[in-house]
Amino acid sequence: MKKILTIIGRDIKSGTRDWLIIYLSIAPILFALVIKGLMPGVESTTLNVVMQHDTPADISEYMESYFDVEYVSDLEAMNDRILRLDDVYGVVYDSNNEGFETIMQGNESADAHIALGLILDQYGLSEDTVLPVTVEFSDVGWEMSPLKLYGANIIILFTTVLGGMMILLNLVEEKMNNTLSAVNVSPITRTEFIIGKGSLGVLLALLGSIAVILILDFGSINYLMLLTSLLAISFISAIVGFGIGVVNDEPIAAIASMKVTFVPVLASIFGSMYLPEKWHFILFWSPFYWAYNSIRDILLKTAQWNQILLNSFIILVLTAILFFTLRKRIAHGLK
Amino acid sequence: MINVNGLYHAYEKGGPFAVKNAAFKVEKGEIFGFLGPSGAGKSTTQGILTGLLPLQKGEVTVAGCDMKKPKREIFNKIGVSFEQSNVYGKLTARENLNFYSKLFDVNTVDAGTLLKLVGLDHVADKKAGEFSKGMKHRLTFVRSMLNKPELWFLDEPTTGLDPAIASQIKDIIKEENNKGTTVFLTTHNMFVADELCDRVAFIIDGEIKLIDSPRNLKLKYGEKMVSVEHNEDGKLVKEQLSLIIKEDQDRLKTIISRGNIEIMHTKEATLEEIFIKVTGRGLK
Repeated sequence: MKKILTIIGRDIKSGTRDWLIIYLSIAPILFALVIKGLMPGVESTTLNVVMQHDTPADISEYMESYFDVEYVSDLEAMNDRILRLDDVYGVVYDSNNEGFETIMQGNESADAHIALGLILDQYGLSEDTVLPVTVEFSDVGWEMSPLKLYGANIIILFTTVLGGMMILLNLVEEKMNNTLSAVNVSPITRTEFIIGKGSLGVLLALLGSIAVILILDFGSINYLMLLTSLLAISFISAIVGFGIGVVNDEPIAAIASMKVTFVPVLASIFGSMYLPEKWHFILFWSPFYWAYNSIRDILLKTAQWNQILLNSFIILVLTAILFFTLRKRIAHGLK
Repeated sequence: MINVNGLYHAYEKGGPFAVKNAAFKVEKGEIFGFLGPSGAGKSTTQGILTGLLPLQKGEVTVAGCDMKKPKREIFNKIGVSFEQSNVYGKLTARENLNFYSKLFDVNTVDAGTLLKLVGLDHVADKKAGEFSKGMKHRLTFVRSMLNKPELWFLDEPTTGLDPAIASQIKDIIKEENNKGTTVFLTTHNMFVADELCDRVAFIIDGEIKLIDSPRNLKLKYGEKMVSVEHNEDGKLVKEQLSLIIKEDQDRLKTIISRGNIEIMHTKEATLEEIFIKVTGRGLK
């Protein structure tokens, strides 16, 4: 274990002196921040309101049937919330006049407040009352912003590939400096060396993905399921990283080779998004297809353990096939 | 310390042998020189002895370990210095040594002490990538001393170094040998081999042609001649005189008695001359 940690420690130390590796490490966080920056605009396609905690229960229930409702303690907190970047309308119930007061920042989407007004006007009226305009909400099944869901899933899959790239760059450094032969005449075993070299890449994939989940505020998803799926898919990126890293002694050429991994990643994502269900079988060969489905379900909080375990098992079988294909090349390259 | 018997190695299956039927022994505490030109099979043999290349055919034991299935623990006992410098350019000299020292299961020498030994203490915290070729070579050399090896493999330890540093490196080798370290020295530099080795092996085209001490080889293959430059009637005369032929012996006595000698030295053979004589090939 001491020797594995020594290898990891060396790679971290060396990585902090390489801009390419630093960029790879923070890239998932940067992408997540970009998506977070875009999200308020995207999420404003739904109506969000903020109300006070002391709002009567029946009004809260009515409002929650139409809007995403947040609650704050007082008017000052409501004003602060409204002034934030996204579109949120303040709704204050006036119990004396039995009416509503709406508070806006002034830069909200043009017609959204009209819908808000119509829905508020409708409150408390009997079913027999005839209004000039009838407001109806239909649910098309989206639980969250598509940008948030797909964006996070894509970043997470690419983060696992970036983990493979980190392994690759660390191996290319060994090849460039011809240091593998020096390691090979030390008492560290081949297995310890491989685990040490692979750990940082897998760790990057795990930490990067969790950072994405936290930045994009996915809340209480099942992290154990996410960890299981990430570990499974990280192995395949690690093997690709080893397979390419051990035969390259030039970082840019190695990264160019690693880019071939983007093909199955992108094919899996867009195939899964746009292909009809009956055509999905043509993506079954790609481990990223199974990982994409697992992560999507986890983010939507609809994932079941049996499905996650099955998908992870399929990924591991595909990983094993790739490993047996590349094992001689890796073993030879590590000599 | 090293036992090699019937060693063969080919880089391709069915291809030509890089090493053919090599057999030799290295005793504990000796400096054994492996001499040969580039491509002779020196590095291949050292690669097998250090476990970097698989043992295909033959019997090899190194420090008591059968190299057919070498155990990793053997690397606690041996040190290997490579011909080509191989250090992490992004790490400092001290970090390089500290990293490798943590890979050993035995007590190691302090990085600072080793760096001082080869005059790199003033650049201990400088990145090795910024080092000159000679500095990298010295760092590679001292790295092989980290675990105080019982058996020390040195591949061209003085190549590319200026004479002062090369002399320093040779002194370190002699000192470690005096402490009991066995040295397996691979080189094509006959002066280094002559100066350091107790015994040398000549290898060419993968075959060991002979093994003996430099002294024995010189006695066996050297000519008993004396080269003399002396003044005679105001002119500088150069002569090669045999120490065996009676006439030459008398002539030498006469020249010495006149006392006009400017330069005189024995014509003992160099290892390179012996190598050429034995193998018919040069060491380059």
